[in-house]
Amino acid sequence: MVEFKTISYEAITVGEELMSDDFTVKPEDVDTFAFAVDDHNPWYFRDSPFGGPITHPTLLGNQALLMRHNKYIVPAGLHAKMQFEFVEPIRVGMRVRSYGKIVDKYEKRGRHYMVTEFETREEATGKVLTRGQFTQMIFPESGVHRETTNR
Amino acid sequence: MKPRTAEPMEVGAELPTLAKTISQRQIDCYSGVRPNSIHTDLEWARKKGFRAPLAQALMSTAYVAQLMVDFAGVGFVKGGKISVSFIKPVIVGDTLTVHGTIKSREREGDKTRVTVEVWCENQDGVKTMVGTASGLESDLKK
Repeated sequence: MVEFKTISYEAITVGEELMSDDFTVKPEDVDTFAFAVDDHNPWYFRDSPFGGPITHPTLLGNQALLMRHNKYIVPAGLHAKMQFEFVEPIRVGMRVRSYGKIVDKYEKRGRHYMVTEFETREEATGKVLTRGQFTQMIFPESGVHRETTNR
Repeated sequence: MKPRTAEPMEVGAELPTLAKTISQRQIDCYSGVRPNSIHTDLEWARKKGFRAPLAQALMSTAYVAQLMVDFAGVGFVKGGKISVSFIKPVIVGDTLTVHGTIKSREREGDKTRVTVEVWCENQDGVKTMVGTASGLESDLKK
């Protein structure tokens, strides 16, 4: 059983491993994502040069980004940096899971950040679909730093 | 799909821009509606210091991916990369314009990696995201 703690700079550890739940990519996920980002490329619905439809390359970004929610209560957070490498196309029907590791945490101008490396793999084959790294700001308990919101 | 250029674009050439006006409904679909979320709960967003719910920063990478799929096709879907920094929040109702300018062309094995400087600007001309994206050009012809 997971004992969830509220995330903080002190609570996280460099080297700590994270993992998402597994997830089956469904046609409705493709539809919802297309609406959300207003991208209705026919490759995602009919045929593509890869043979059959594929999904939007970033469809599973949130699976990786939300891995820390499987261990921590995250009241809010801001995403500072994102790196993606698209290795293989994602297809409807794949069962996928993201695996990650916290590779750094640091303080800059009074703000706390954590850096996570990730791979998203097809569970049946272990094939890497997407990999990358992201940097997330850890909010202080009180809210956010004033200069973050000044617009 | 928009037709892609038959000839390689030169360094400095600009890709066609994309414009995205972001609704709360789209943010809800992208992030999933839940209470105590800066993306889908107005009161919580205000409590955390924002005047309105924020679009998830990751949505901007989806826009960049669209720009790059239009440009590099299969050479972005398999072998593409994105590396960006999110420098200002994007608020519900904002209109982002997604820009790309060819930055470099470098050999990578038997292919050419084309790197594009990418950025998003909101309706006030403020940059919200900056970085690069790249794709493999020889795959353009497949």
